[in-house]
Amino acid sequence: MSDAWIYACEPRLGETLGGQLCELGYRTLAQSIDAAPTVERLVASRTPGLVVVTSGIDAARTSELCTAVRALDGLSDVPLLCAVEETALGSGELTGDGDELLVAPWTLGELRLRIGRASRRFGLADHPEAEIVRVRGLEINLATYQVTIDGRPVDFTFMEYELLRFLVTHPNRVFAREALLNRVWGYDYYGGTRTVDVHVRRVRAKLGAEHAARLHTVRSVGYRFER
Amino acid sequence: MNVENFSIDLDTTYVLRTVEERGVRFVRLWFVDVMGTLKSFSVPSSELEQALAEGVSIDGSSLEGTVRLRERDMIARPDPRTFQLLPWSRTPPVGRMFCDIRSPDGIPFPGDSRHALRAAVARASELGYTFQVGCELEFFLFAEATEDGEIPRPLDRGAYFDLTPRDEGSDFRRQTIEHLEQMGIPVKASHHEVGPSQHEIQLQYHDAQSMADAVSTFRLVVKEVAHEQGIYATFMPKPLENESGSGMHLHLSLFEGESNAFYGGYGEPLSSIGQQFLAGVLTHARELTVVTNPWVNSYKRLGGGFEAPSHADWTRHGREALVRVPSARPGRPSAARIEVRSPDPSCNPYLALALLLAAGLRGIERGYELPPEAEDQAPVGAPRLPEDLREATALFAESELAHETLGERLCEWYVANAQREWCDYQRTVTEFERRRYLPIL
Repeated sequence: MSDAWIYACEPRLGETLGGQLCELGYRTLAQSIDAAPTVERLVASRTPGLVVVTSGIDAARTSELCTAVRALDGLSDVPLLCAVEETALGSGELTGDGDELLVAPWTLGELRLRIGRASRRFGLADHPEAEIVRVRGLEINLATYQVTIDGRPVDFTFMEYELLRFLVTHPNRVFAREALLNRVWGYDYYGGTRTVDVHVRRVRAKLGAEHAARLHTVRSVGYRFER
Repeated sequence: MNVENFSIDLDTTYVLRTVEERGVRFVRLWFVDVMGTLKSFSVPSSELEQALAEGVSIDGSSLEGTVRLRERDMIARPDPRTFQLLPWSRTPPVGRMFCDIRSPDGIPFPGDSRHALRAAVARASELGYTFQVGCELEFFLFAEATEDGEIPRPLDRGAYFDLTPRDEGSDFRRQTIEHLEQMGIPVKASHHEVGPSQHEIQLQYHDAQSMADAVSTFRLVVKEVAHEQGIYATFMPKPLENESGSGMHLHLSLFEGESNAFYGGYGEPLSSIGQQFLAGVLTHARELTVVTNPWVNSYKRLGGGFEAPSHADWTRHGREALVRVPSARPGRPSAARIEVRSPDPSCNPYLALALLLAAGLRGIERGYELPPEAEDQAPVGAPRLPEDLREATALFAESELAHETLGERLCEWYVANAQREWCDYQRTVTEFERRRYLPIL
């Protein structure tokens, strides 16, 4: 389960989305944006798994907001949905290349589908459609937070679980320690990047040899999970 | 700007879901008193959500050690990130979490050792450092719990690094290590120590808070496994007169981002930051000793030979100094560290680490000079560590560094406990006195 951030110009769309995303299993954080065109990272610690921009009827404004959000630290490769009223479709380019458009009114099913499409563009399996992630005998149930290996439960601490979940749902990509610290632990943590090494070691020990071998150390870069 | 949070914290949800999925019926909530003794109470899973949201009311005098002055209501707030299933609990499994102690109005209680360490670590962080700690714990295994005062019987006569059929403790070590690993406490190495039935287990480096929690957990795991196997484990610093005592060597280093601030380059023992930190530890060693060595018995180990330190000195190659500086290895700058050899495994790890860190930081902030290295013996002028609990307590009571780091309340409690311990000891007529004086006086 991951965070979804909502940048809402249009409070009504924002509220609808907040409720629906909760239903889909996201933890949602919303920021309402007034007339001023500035956006900031939300104070929340972790980098989100999804960003939604809602901007009602103004097409130019929507496009501007999406660009601004993309430019924020750590948000360049997060799936982005752009939710608008139908009247905004009249003119101009609405979304960037990697972004998914959502036109009101939409159903929960459509929302789930759009998130799936946006996520796949970034090579992610981390959308609510996939509640259970399997890599051979290793199974992570994202809804119940339980991990099993060949059907046997394995006990992780919360941070071990979060690290494993993140790497397994972002497979075949190298993450620097600093990036993992920001995305998994959050910005307010001051245990230092060595904490990442400690947790990787612990996760490997619990995974056992076969699965531990998938969690690669990439020398002087960071870590990668191979699927 | 207006930020709303639609749901409760993820770590809390994680605990609640795990408890539900795994059929956990009880969760033990742990905290420590001023002497580092682990305290525990249980909440049924049905009460867990409320306990996580609001905390649980406890009698705050339980933090005061054996000298309990007054009752006061405190709130124990479980830390969901420390949630673990106890590996020795069968079905249904039992969980545990460490607690922070707060006053009823929600502020951290100044009598909470975990809070004292967190404050010291936060200070290091303000200066740009993260504090990393590795740890070697020694302990003895005896045949079984003995009657009061009887001399315990070791399980074997094995010696340092022995691998023999006599090492009945190897089964014990294997089981202990398995439990520790399951509880997220990775073990670096383990071996038979110098004394009969004496063992050592080394824990991998960690941030200080996690390490102090790991030491608390470690002591319980060792006792638990011993109990399962019908033997008795003890962290008493010096259980046998003519054998080595048990120490808890602490390996300390500071990191700035990803680089080790103690690394001085190949062939250099320490950077100037590392030297100043070490000088801080040496300068304040005497006033901190009562915390690293809290009992009457601790002083039978310190200064009692068998490589236990007796002076506030340091060395690269010697064996008896307070601090050993391992030689820097090429290509391993992250391993640069100092090894503080005085603490014993019965101490309060939170307060010990808070004070060692504060002493080291003071060395850096005030630019202390590192005294000359000890070769075969302590250099002239190296101060002697306190020789007994009374002297150590008096030095601590006067320590400005201790009061600044731990706060008045913890210092006052600590001194009261140590004084009471010394007083009880002084009043005891010992076996030594009867054996020595009855026949001749």
